[in-house]
Amino acid sequence: MARAKAEQQQPATGMTLIVMVGLAIAFLLFMAFLNVVKSGNLLSETNLLFATLIFYAGAGALYLGFGVTGTESYVKFASLATWLGLIANTAAVVHRWYEAGHPPFASVYEMLLSFVWTLAVLTLVAEKKYGVKVIGTVTMPVAIVGVVLMQLLRTEVHPLVPALQSTWLHVHVTLAMLAYAACALSFALAMMFLIQDNMKTETFLAFTSASTLAIYASVVLTRFEKWGGLSLVAWNPENKAEVFLSKGVRLFVTIPDLGWQMTLTLLVVASPLVFYALARWKNNHSFLTLANRAVFLSILLQVMTLVMFLVRAKDGRYPSLDADGLFPTSLAASPFILSGLVGGVFISLLYLLLMWRRPDLGRLLPSADNLDRITYKTICLAFPLLTLMIAAGAYWANQTWGSYWSWDPKETWAAITWLVYAGYLHMRITRGWRGRRAAYFAILGFAVVMFTFFGVTYLLPGLHAYA
Amino acid sequence: MAVDLRGLAHKTWRSIASIQTGVVLLILVVILSAVGTIVLQRPVTEPDEMQNAYSPQVLRILDAVGLTDVFHAWWFLGLMLLVSLCIVAASVDRFPNSWRYFSRPYKYPDESFRRALHPQKSVAIADEESGLVAAQRALHSLGFNPERVVREDHFGIFAERHRISELAVYIVHASLLLIFFGTIVDGLWGWRGTLNLNEGQTSNFVELRDGATRTLPFAIRCDSAGQENYKDGTPKKWWSKLAVVADGRDVRKKEIVVNDPLLYSGVRFYQSSYGPNGKVDKFLLVAAPSNGSGEKREIGLAVNDTFPLDADTTVRFAEFIPDYAVRDGQVYRKSNELQNPAAHLIVTSKSAGKAFDVWFPRMDEVADNSKSPYQFQATDLKMGHFTGLQVSHEPGQWGVWSGVVLLGIGLAFVFYVVHMRFWAVPVCDPKTGKYSLWIGGTANRNRDAFEQRFSDLAASVEAELKSLAIISQSEQVATGVGNCSR
Repeated sequence: MARAKAEQQQPATGMTLIVMVGLAIAFLLFMAFLNVVKSGNLLSETNLLFATLIFYAGAGALYLGFGVTGTESYVKFASLATWLGLIANTAAVVHRWYEAGHPPFASVYEMLLSFVWTLAVLTLVAEKKYGVKVIGTVTMPVAIVGVVLMQLLRTEVHPLVPALQSTWLHVHVTLAMLAYAACALSFALAMMFLIQDNMKTETFLAFTSASTLAIYASVVLTRFEKWGGLSLVAWNPENKAEVFLSKGVRLFVTIPDLGWQMTLTLLVVASPLVFYALARWKNNHSFLTLANRAVFLSILLQVMTLVMFLVRAKDGRYPSLDADGLFPTSLAASPFILSGLVGGVFISLLYLLLMWRRPDLGRLLPSADNLDRITYKTICLAFPLLTLMIAAGAYWANQTWGSYWSWDPKETWAAITWLVYAGYLHMRITRGWRGRRAAYFAILGFAVVMFTFFGVTYLLPGLHAYA
Repeated sequence: MAVDLRGLAHKTWRSIASIQTGVVLLILVVILSAVGTIVLQRPVTEPDEMQNAYSPQVLRILDAVGLTDVFHAWWFLGLMLLVSLCIVAASVDRFPNSWRYFSRPYKYPDESFRRALHPQKSVAIADEESGLVAAQRALHSLGFNPERVVREDHFGIFAERHRISELAVYIVHASLLLIFFGTIVDGLWGWRGTLNLNEGQTSNFVELRDGATRTLPFAIRCDSAGQENYKDGTPKKWWSKLAVVADGRDVRKKEIVVNDPLLYSGVRFYQSSYGPNGKVDKFLLVAAPSNGSGEKREIGLAVNDTFPLDADTTVRFAEFIPDYAVRDGQVYRKSNELQNPAAHLIVTSKSAGKAFDVWFPRMDEVADNSKSPYQFQATDLKMGHFTGLQVSHEPGQWGVWSGVVLLGIGLAFVFYVVHMRFWAVPVCDPKTGKYSLWIGGTANRNRDAFEQRFSDLAASVEAELKSLAIISQSEQVATGVGNCSR
């Protein structure tokens, strides 16, 4: 139905969107300029990041427009916006480097800064060198989420503690960044392969619903409190740090009623999966229509939940079950939940994009065979980089802690990532796995990478306390 | 029966060497290590933290199964050994084939091979010799070193590059085994512990992880240690000047910092912490005679130091109490934390035959400082510091590092070095009686790039053939013009 609508539309020249995005960028830059005039500080990192965000957002909108309508002229302007954003991003990196006196690798904030930069570079490389124009549709929103997350994290320059003062820090982290970016690229390529391979939209629907369900289930299961509250970590705005009751025990505050809302959203994001299962079971197509409607409802509720979460967890004082009185919390205290919620909305929107895709989207992408081969090639690049990253980390650990391997969670998960990709290579080389199965494997690998990068930092304790 | 046994052994071997077993083992390793990062682990987490996190029953079960120390459990070690066995078996199983492939290159393609190969191409030629020469020249110009192969009465051209790439995967597997070997050696013969030294102290006892002590055959002395801070007070650098003492001599001296350890006869000393040890290094005072006749003097005392103030009078730093309390005219030591320090000096006058107690801070109910022949003013209390060293002995780490280097080389070969082979054979078509040159090639990876290279080669062969034809025409040599029917 929606697809039919898209086909009815005239093949517009695409000027409308370009002009709109251009005007939006100009407007935001003008506002930023007024702000700069007021503060009189042009080249502050905040301003540079703001410019980065504006340009990336514009590029993301244009890439999305290209993904949906296939209008070629969008891509030109999208890559222009990406270039401008990349310049601002580079300036922010340089500024940070100069300010801190070390490359920006020493905290989650700095890692994100470098990661977003690498992602933008790789997007441009993939577009110019390999002609994969649609890739910005996936990578730019990821970059935007990264820049938004950065606004919430601690930004002060921290001097390097003694253990981090080593050349191996730079070797290790540069390799990690390159390896993770290559993994991200292989993920995007594998997704495109699945689209090009005419994978059924329903399968994506099940994927989307399952992953959003996993996000909400993990939030509700770990954070649902008595009487429908949602417990979040208390945040001390002066120290910009979490509040600890005693060593290793964090203080949690409860935001009333948010737990109910989360549970409701959990049920709604689960419903497309239920309808999908019913459709498969009863072999009845009308359930799929219901499932697609449920996706709309789930996006609506997810956005509402996200807004409520943003409004209520941004500031404010809430009671705690463990101590008397009201305690402040902040978005910065729960980056994991926040990125989960944003990620859920993002995945669902990607599905919508796929549902509304033009039937000739395939024409815009390289052939399925080519995508399969490029995915394999990026993994061939990522795997040695992962190996070297782990080796450099082990050598550095040996220099600092006197042991090259201590089974710390980050180390262990890096090894798990390595094993997953080793499994991919073995299945591909000795068993001749191609196409869909290989693509699923590449997606699994990237999921593990993301968990190693974010999940381990925020969920599992260990020596890697810096990032 | 014996045959059966052999069959069974063969079957077991086959199943160990199979890729399925490998994948199942890898999945097991992944799951168990993931569990090991989610369940709190024993030696790292304090016992009371463990008790906070889990209920007693759960903790008992976790302990019994070994899930609180996954990475040192016997079954995890066993699993790693199985993985090693699987790698060895898979490699041994496949190696002979690869070795045959490597040691006896396939130089002359037979007919069925020629039919199946992709990419391939046939070019019309005048006679066998011109085709062979053209192929040889074309391969030369592409940087290959072609050789002429003779099979019975047939000729062929064969060229290849990077044959070693076929064995690269065994380099990778061998390097993994080398790394495992290194860690096993470390697990069996290595040890780790800590050694805390006060400035000036010498020791050769290392406290190991499990609470035991280990006596080193040499001793370590800390000459001095210190900390530098950033402006905001966070530590920037910890350093210790260490000396190795063997047979009563200093055999080695080094200033170590974090990330730069001292290595002596296989034992490494790492800077890991630094802090006050609760002992006084120097107590700085200004002393002046009570009658006001003499000059003021600055003196510095360590505990138990005696210092002559004049010919008749000496002062001794008798005692330092880091945390004191006064009860019934007596000074007690409340704790060893540096909370509320007190210093006790004894001033002895020979001519008067008397000793006077002097306390810092003043405690009038204990002693009257003003009776002493000298009056003191405390200017500074320099506390002593200890340096915390991590000590480790890892005899297997050279296996690990050489394994890592080998792994890097192996992976580079696996992914980026391509074994390319080209064949060129003049073939006679019995139907038409015409000669043609069959060219074929194959690469073990990166096939799309290879096809480009192959079409380059074919074009180059055709160009060579053309120039050869021009020469032969100019020489006016009469040939059979591609007729091979005899």
